Formats: sequence, structure tokens, C-alpha cells
Amino acid sequence: MSEQTETATPAESTDTAGLLDRWDALRERESFSILGAIAFVIVFPMIFTNLPAYNGYMSLVELIYIWAIFAIGFDLLLGYTGLLSFGHAVFWGGSAYAAGLFSANIYGEPLLMVLVATVTAIVLALIIGVLSLRRGGIYFAILTLAFGQMMYFLALGPLGEITGGEDGFTGVTIEPLLGSIGLGREFAGILGTLLHDISYVLFAGFFVLAVAAAVRIVRSPYGAIFQAIAENEQRVRFLGLNVWRYKLVAFVLSGAFAGVAGGLHTIHAQYVAVGSLYWITSGDIVIITVLGGVGSIFGPVAGAMAFLYVENIVSGEIAFWLLVLGALFVTVVWLFPAGLWGIVDGIRSTVRGQLSGDDS
Amino acid sequence: MSVVGSVVGFAIQTLAVSSIYILVAIGLSITLGTLKFVNFAHAAMYLAGVYIGLGIALELQFTGDIARSIGLGNVGLDLGFLAALAIIPIITFGLGLLMERFVARPFYDRPDTDQILVTFGILLIVQELIRAFVGGRSLTFSRPEWAAGAISLGPLGTYSSWRLAIIGITAVLVLAVYLYIEYTDVGLAVRAGTEDAEMVNLLGIRATRPFLVIFGIGSGLAGAAGVVGGPVFSVVPEIGVGVLVPAFLVVVVGGVGSIVGSVVGGLLIGAVEVGLQMNAPTWSSVGIYALAAVVLLVRPAGLMGVVEVDE
Repeated sequence: MSEQTETATPAESTDTAGLLDRWDALRERESFSILGAIAFVIVFPMIFTNLPAYNGYMSLVELIYIWAIFAIGFDLLLGYTGLLSFGHAVFWGGSAYAAGLFSANIYGEPLLMVLVATVTAIVLALIIGVLSLRRGGIYFAILTLAFGQMMYFLALGPLGEITGGEDGFTGVTIEPLLGSIGLGREFAGILGTLLHDISYVLFAGFFVLAVAAAVRIVRSPYGAIFQAIAENEQRVRFLGLNVWRYKLVAFVLSGAFAGVAGGLHTIHAQYVAVGSLYWITSGDIVIITVLGGVGSIFGPVAGAMAFLYVENIVSGEIAFWLLVLGALFVTVVWLFPAGLWGIVDGIRSTVRGQLSGDDS
Repeated sequence: MSVVGSVVGFAIQTLAVSSIYILVAIGLSITLGTLKFVNFAHAAMYLAGVYIGLGIALELQFTGDIARSIGLGNVGLDLGFLAALAIIPIITFGLGLLMERFVARPFYDRPDTDQILVTFGILLIVQELIRAFVGGRSLTFSRPEWAAGAISLGPLGTYSSWRLAIIGITAVLVLAVYLYIEYTDVGLAVRAGTEDAEMVNLLGIRATRPFLVIFGIGSGLAGAAGVVGGPVFSVVPEIGVGVLVPAFLVVVVGGVGSIVGSVVGGLLIGAVEVGLQMNAPTWSSVGIYALAAVVLLVRPAGLMGVVEVDE
């Protein structure tokens, strides 16, 4: 049928097909995702702060970017490499403490804090990764959970003098960016409408960087091997590649994203709660990523948006939001493994298929 | 106190702590060994044991927001501790059968990560249901009166009769399950499944029923652990994970699939925890992880474990 139509109106059909092909080619480009992220950080606050029950404060928008960075990194591990970690709170909380301690004792410059946080997370990820990957497959989730809890109890008990124990770490002192630009400084005019203030640029900037880095990793030959491991680990091993090493690298990369996010969170909250190391934090990032949709860059971002909106806004209206969230989580795992983003993507490809006239 | 006395004291305290971990770990270990199934929802069985057990033994106060909004007050059968200990394993055995049939089985053919995620989700739901109905605050699960005092063991000293009761109850339960697995056909299929699940299938043995039964037994033990552990650990919705993590460590240290492994792992974990509690209390909850890390580095398959075929 479609062949007949094509021959009947060749000019028109090739024209739309050409446009669609060009659109597809554009979508495939790496810069498209990055430009998309930039457009997102400009448009998103305008829409989000006008949602129902939202009282318009920007702090939550920044918090969403921070969690989104965490979730993007988590998805590199879960969605792309097929490894489920239940101990990512270690990297989030551990790096948050490192950033806090650094700011209190040495220097509170935000970029340096993020650097210290990231390095801490990488070191922690190396140690825990080596231990947790000793046993294959299903043990990974158990071991990461266990070592995650170990860090929580370490911070609570033996290291209590440094971390502040149950009260959390309160000595965070944030200096101006690069030593001279105050985080609260607001932009004037059109720049003010688009980018708000320096702190917004800091958090949104790191978010865009995280998207760019993740897209680069996923598109690289190295990232292709991550995805191959998720699909068929045995076959990758037969190709002569050291699966264990690739898994460790994926774990460390994912930990580094969590480290950036943890450091930013200390800057944002100016406080580190001991709960940031608790298994519930690890559970939250699992829920965010799975709800949003694993195996894509923007799925986890969608998850972070939905989760934080519900946690901070809807939780006031519905007392049992955690119960509802749990039920929603099970439903998604059971019936829609591709998550929210998977549903969006399904609609998109259906529309695309209809436009081009083939059903594939 | 004499040297012998303090050794016996340490041993009894270790056995009492280990008991609860062992009871929870056996179910985890068997489902891991036979079905390669990581069951976070196993902690929900412990929670069921604690909360339903409290309702049977004494009285459960419903103070959660939902319970208050529908006017649910206190429900208590006040039948006593032993009644709870007898009824709970039956209830959680049944819940375990339901869970195997309707949650685990649909996921046997799905990726490992999906199995873990769905059981984690179910644990969350159970935990939040408890918070919604019973409330999030810590409840008191008092020890039965007959075990409140102390028993004198002659020259060995005087010990809490409650600890001795825990040890006795656990020993009976573990021994019963051990004999069941060693000397029955169901147990034979389970042991064969642990050795090589694929081969059992290829030989044409329908392992569905043995797996179902063993899933139920594991759940029953976890429920019993809840009744026994209720008066020992705190009674809060998060205690499920609080017990699940050490139980996982027991499996890691002891090795998967055997009851002996769970017992050995449980005793080691308990000994480390109690030993540190006595000498360096701030480190007591950290030491067990260090033990697991050492075992992983030296003997990745666990002390009693065999290296698995599919890894």
C-alpha cells in the first residue's frame, strides 16, 4: 500500500520523509541532547514554579537538578550496565560529608567543594566496588546495601566526633564562587528572567555538564561495552574483554556523578544529615531512576522531577504519599519496566511511525 | 565472675543474638541457593511476625493516621507469647506461599534486577502500610512473664531466662527444618536444586512444589524470628531492613543454600557483634560488615559455600 501512495505523490512524500529523516538525524546528534538540556534549564523553572500547589520558590528546582545528576549517574550503572546498587547513599552522603568538612576546615569555595566531594566518591566507589564485585550478579545488590549501611553506622558511631553523629554536620561555611562572586547575586534584566541568580547558574550548569558527560559516555565505544554487558555478559566475556573491570569502571563513574551531586547538595543545604547515608536514600535513588525510566538520560531526570514534586508538594496534601509511591513503583516494575520516559518514548515513536507512514 | 562464667555468658548472649539472624537468614539462603532469587520482601515476613505477633500475644495499638481516620482502636487477642509463637509461623508460611505464587513466580524468568526491585517495592509497601495503620513510633513488645526473671546454672552463673528461651526455640525450629531438608523427598529436590538447578529441570523433576514449600518454610521461620525478636530489637516499621541486612551478611559469610552455612555464619556474626558490644560499643554495628568484607576477600563463596556453576 505505502509503495503505491509513494508513487502516486512522489514529491510530497519524499518531502515529509526528508524532513523526518533530517529530524531523526538531528535527534541522534550529541549536541541535540546538550542543547536540549540547556533549553530545559531555561524553560523548566517557568513551568514548574507555576504548577498547582507550588509556592514558587526556586530552591526545589535547584534540588531537582542535584538529584537528577545523582539519578543520571545511577542510571549509567543500572540502566546501561545492568548493575543494581542498593548502596549509592555512600557516595551521595560520603561526598556530602567530605564537602562539608572541607568547607569547615579548609576552604568553602563551591567548585573546590564539588571537586573534593567527587574525588571522595571515586575513592569510596573503588573500595566498595572491588568488594561488592567479588561475587557476581545478584550478590551485588546485597553487598552494596550492606557496605552502604556500614558507612551509615560508621558515621553514626565511631566517626561521630567528626560527622556530628545523629545531629548531622552543621559546620558548613560557603564562600563566594571563585572567591569573589556571591552565590546569591541576582542577574538583572533578561538574564535575570532566564537564569535568575549565580546559585541557579551553578546548579543548572552542573546539570547540563552531567547530561553532556553522560551522553558522551553512553555514545563512546567504552559505553557501548557497558550496554553489551547488560545485554549479555557471557558474550562480552567470550570476546575476550575483562567484564569485571568494565563493571568496576561503570560503578566508579556512577559514584563520581553521585559525588558531584552530594557536593552540590552540601552547598545547597549548607548542612549534612546523617540520613544521607541511610539505606532509605539508596532506596530513593533506585525509585527515582526506575520510575523515570532506566536506560535513557532523560528518564532519570523525569523521575527526579516527579519524585521531588511529590515529596515536597503533594506530601502535604496526601499523607500516605510513600505508600502510594511504593504501589506505583511496584506497578512500574511489573508492567512498565521502561518507566515514565518509556511511555513518553513509546508515544513519540508511534507518532513518528504514523508520520512516516510505516508501522515499524 | 569466673573466666568460665564470662565465657558462658558471652556464648549465651552470642547465641541469643545469632538466633534471630539465623532464623531470618535460612529462608534467604535457600531461595538464593535454589531459585537464585533475592528476596527483599523476606523482611516483610519478619515485620508480619513482629506486628501480628504483638497483636496475638498482647495488644496492637493502631495509632497511624489512616487507622485514626477510620476509627480503628486497639486490637489485641492477649493470648500470650507462646500462642503467638505457634500461630505466626503458620500465618507467615501461608503468606510465603502466596508470595511465591503471585510475586516470585512471575519474576523467575525476568532479569535479576527486576526481581530485586519488585521485592524491594513490596517491602516498602508493607512498611508504609504499617506506618499508616499502626504508626511509626516505637512500640513495646514485652517479654512474657515466665521468661522475665533469671535462671541459675549452678557454678556457671545466673542468666536471663529470656535469652535461654530464645536459644531453645531457635534450636528446635532450625533442627526441625534441617531434618526436613535432609530426610524428605521435598528436601532432596531442594538440595539437588541448590547444587544445580538447571540439571534438576533437565532431569524432568518438577521442582515447582518443593520450591513453593521451601519458600513457605523460609517465610515461616522469618515470621517466628519476628515473634522472638520483637522483645529484643525495637518495634518500628524500619526494623525489617534493620534485620534483613545482618541476615544477608549471614548468608554472605556462611555461604548460600545450606542450613549449616546459615548457622555458622549467624554464630560468627553474632559473636563479632556481641564481642564488640562488650569491649568497644561504638564499633559494634560496624564490625559485622568488616567481617563480611574479610570473608569476601578470602573466601568469596562464603565459609560453607561451594563455588556456584553459573558465576
